Amino acid sequence: METLELLINGFAVALQGQSLLACLIGVIGGVIIGALPGLGPSTGVAVLLPLTFGRNPTTAIIMLAGIYYGAMFGGAISSTLINTPGDSAAVMTCVDGHPLAQQGRAGAALGMASLASFIGGTISIIIFTFLAPKLAEAVLWFGPPEYFALMVMGLSTVSGLTGKSPFKGMASMLVGLALSTVGVDLVTGKPRFCFGRPELFSGIEFITVALGLFGIAELINLAAGESGQLKRTEVKLSFRNMLPNKEDWGHSWPHILRGTFLGFFIGMLPGAGGTIASFISYSMAKRRSKRPELFGKGAIEGVAAPESANNAASVGAFVPLLALGVPGSATTAVLLGALMMFNLRPGPLIFQRAPEFVWGLIASMYVGNVMLVALLLLFIAAFVRVLDTPVHLLVASVFVLILAGSFSLNVGIFEVGITVAFGAIGYVMKRLEYPPAPLVLALVLGHMLENSFRQSLIMSRGDMSIFFTRPLSLILLAVAVAAVVIPAIRNYQRASASRSI
Amino acid sequence: MRKSVTLLAVLGLVLGLCGSGPAWAAYPDKPITFVVPFSAGGGSDVMARAITKVFQDEKLLPQPLVVENRPGGSGAVGYAYVARRVGDPYIIATVSSSFWTTPLTAESPVNYEDFTPISGLGLDPFLLMVNPKSPYKTLEDVIKAAKEKPMGLTVGGTSLSDDRVCTGLLEKAAGIKFNYVPFEGGGEAMTALLGGHVDLCWANPGEALNQLEAGRAVALAVSVEERLAQLPDVPTFSEAGYPQVVHYQLRGIVAPKNVPEEAVKVLEAAFKKLHESQAWQKDYMERFMVTPRYYNAKDFANAIVERNNAYIAVYKEIGVLK
Repeated sequence: METLELLINGFAVALQGQSLLACLIGVIGGVIIGALPGLGPSTGVAVLLPLTFGRNPTTAIIMLAGIYYGAMFGGAISSTLINTPGDSAAVMTCVDGHPLAQQGRAGAALGMASLASFIGGTISIIIFTFLAPKLAEAVLWFGPPEYFALMVMGLSTVSGLTGKSPFKGMASMLVGLALSTVGVDLVTGKPRFCFGRPELFSGIEFITVALGLFGIAELINLAAGESGQLKRTEVKLSFRNMLPNKEDWGHSWPHILRGTFLGFFIGMLPGAGGTIASFISYSMAKRRSKRPELFGKGAIEGVAAPESANNAASVGAFVPLLALGVPGSATTAVLLGALMMFNLRPGPLIFQRAPEFVWGLIASMYVGNVMLVALLLLFIAAFVRVLDTPVHLLVASVFVLILAGSFSLNVGIFEVGITVAFGAIGYVMKRLEYPPAPLVLALVLGHMLENSFRQSLIMSRGDMSIFFTRPLSLILLAVAVAAVVIPAIRNYQRASASRSI
Repeated sequence: MRKSVTLLAVLGLVLGLCGSGPAWAAYPDKPITFVVPFSAGGGSDVMARAITKVFQDEKLLPQPLVVENRPGGSGAVGYAYVARRVGDPYIIATVSSSFWTTPLTAESPVNYEDFTPISGLGLDPFLLMVNPKSPYKTLEDVIKAAKEKPMGLTVGGTSLSDDRVCTGLLEKAAGIKFNYVPFEGGGEAMTALLGGHVDLCWANPGEALNQLEAGRAVALAVSVEERLAQLPDVPTFSEAGYPQVVHYQLRGIVAPKNVPEEAVKVLEAAFKKLHESQAWQKDYMERFMVTPRYYNAKDFANAIVERNNAYIAVYKEIGVLK
């Protein structure tokens, strides 16, 4: 009950005028940053960080945290409306969110995204409130072999991302894995496939690829007049029609809950984060859904699953940041720098040393989530108007936004080139019906997959048994194998059953 | 008509000359771009922003410093960007270990010879850390165990950075061999240590302090000649009999090559005042546990060469360089 008391004190901080204002500015800024293609929360937090100097540290961090989880809400907007991921964690939202928009259900998709984000975020904050220090211990169970097993598990979900042809999905994944080998090698320090370009030393930036494969490819498609005019909801834009209906909820709620827990735990692990969480949540949803055939063509639960997961992950990332003093994601790494500048040293002692800060921050996250869901539901109608824009204007302006977003990542023209190149590749893939999502997933996971594999083998000095003698790693690998084998057996049985008829 | 054009041209020329002539006495007459070759929030960014703040608060220069993050390629992108502006005194950059290590290991297009040293500001020493549950309580325990089991102890560190260099120095000094496990960043290596996945890791005092205070990690030795004021109980490697194990990250400021002498003087003087400022010592040096050490432009130039040679020596030793 001590926790509740502390939380109430936290609310006393979070509900002060200036905290509320900071929270509101943060979440609105976050939604905008999240919705703008390419501009992700880590850039957003970094850019706004200097503005918070000299302010009260609690107010400042409340604002910066608001940007972080606000961006997770905002990412869904551009994913759904223009098939362009606003940030990396929103890639999976494109896959079903955009088809829903094309079917005139953009409002429902955005409504579901907001509510799923809200539920995912709020449940995660509740878990965080009561269990943060204990959960931090679980983070420490993960060494390189466990990360390797987790990445294998992530890749095994690719089968859930493929369209009609498993072969095309696998091909797309292999291209992604090959691309992930570009960059300076962790062990030898030598650049691989960089062709002397220092821009490639740290690897191909995942979001630059996603902007091209999803965003630009869709624009080419639109310009070529192949996907038909985007249409707005035919029914009147009343508040009620904006919200997901009862049937949508029926399909979505189990996936929201699963996405929340998955997202929270994956978000907690340093380096894994919201992007991976949203991929895994999506493909688990597809596998468990009663109507998997609808995924990729506008299944509302295909929006709910990744959105609840990426929001939950953004809360989960605060566990190692606050309780261990190690950042769990790119954005919390920036926040760690900010905390140090304010002389708040995160770590196990911060809960005792600065309780008003920690609990104020936690309480502000409850407040921020309520603000976000209220704001978004109010403005969905306005967002959906984007679809009324004539195609020629929409294509041109979104193209500029995408290029600007890509440019902003490293303030360089090189990234813009990569985005455009992948736009062309994405269009070809679209025409040939190769799904882009496995490529993107493999690009995200490939880097960690390789590094953790090599780290593990260095630790064991070349002994492969390290992956099977550590219990957690063994369990995760077993899950990965089951994820591939069980559907294959089922398909085989189904196929032989239909043959025998 | 023609007359007035000529007049304007002459007037413009005269004004232009006036503008540029005495302007040298007035360097800087416009804001100076302060490039951080890493993302915001990292160690170099934190330093640059702290510098900018003190410069502004204490009016160390008549014009502001404007921080610009140019991340990518472990510093290679940002340094290449600055190096291209040969002779331009309106751009400076932060120096940290990547200034040396990236050109040496990753064939980056520019190296220290493409820059004009301005000032050195401080050192980040390295601490050898263990998990408190580890059987090794002192440096001697570690070395004894490593002698019994060559390659038996794992050391976590950031790829080929300073952590690798420190490991190499200790291996050579003590005649032992560790099993070095490279990680992407210091945070990951520290997490692996806390979880007991590696036996040892290296960390800057600023990174390690949280864990030390919470009793989740123990520092066995520090890689500079004297004990740190904030960590008086942590012995140096020399005390334990390994005086060769001295290594630190040198932090400072550089400008592009061929910057006018006058501009170097102005910048050097401003950074000297920074070093002497109370606010700087308190808000940056103490808070981030950096050891203050001022180098003027000339000394910093020597230190840069000396550091480069030190990195080359260790990289050759461990086979990274031929």
